[in-house]
Amino acid sequence: MLNHSPTMDGGMASDVEREEEEAVTDLLRDRFRLSTITIAEAEAKQCGMEVSLPIITCISDLAFKFAEQLAKDLELFAQHAGRKSVNMEDVILSGEFILVDISHRNDHLASSLRSFSNDLKTKEPNLERKRKKSSRREDRVARDLLHTPDT
Amino acid sequence: MEKENTFDPDLVHEIFKLVWKRKATERGKNELSENMDNEVGASSSRRSRPTFANANALKLSSEFLRIFVAEAIQRAATIAEAEGSITIEATHLERILPQLLLDF
Repeated sequence: MLNHSPTMDGGMASDVEREEEEAVTDLLRDRFRLSTITIAEAEAKQCGMEVSLPIITCISDLAFKFAEQLAKDLELFAQHAGRKSVNMEDVILSGEFILVDISHRNDHLASSLRSFSNDLKTKEPNLERKRKKSSRREDRVARDLLHTPDT
Repeated sequence: MEKENTFDPDLVHEIFKLVWKRKATERGKNELSENMDNEVGASSSRRSRPTFANANALKLSSEFLRIFVAEAIQRAATIAEAEGSITIEATHLERILPQLLLDF
């Protein structure tokens, strides 16, 4: 009866599978930590600060959990839109409130973010119309500082 | 050269894929137990297929995660500076953590 189903989880293998999955997660977590160390140290250097390694590890684990949660959110947003694939709109939706909030307080982050989303926007111009609808506030801030003509 | 340090979109993709695969298998199992008596048709195989993401979405997610880390460091640095310290210690992180987690 199970043969009809194309899902590959055959009950007995699930323990082995889980162990394997945990090993993969650990590996990813370590790779993620390495990237975090680079980013955090660069960021701290800009502030003229040193960061102790345990702190970075802690932040990295937080960011990893955040990434996992983000994955779940994105999946739900995409599902809600009736899609199987996650696109930029979903990411923007999940980050909209925070990013707008941060933009007001933090000039460096704000400008880097604006140029980043602008980069992606020019690469995918058809998305811009929808983006405006979804994040009008963010766009308004962006327009104040960036006068790049749209392609 | 202007490119800053950021998370590798491929790495982010792999994390996402792992989460989605896990969810998809869970969904598949639920469907299976629900549909034990019924025919397990094409709908269940479709629903249990994992979500996927496009390249720009992954790049934006990487940037998003980078901002999380950068914010954590910058806020902690502000506290450390106010206390006249030159290294960011656990106590500084503790101070900013509640607000950071509320913001993200």
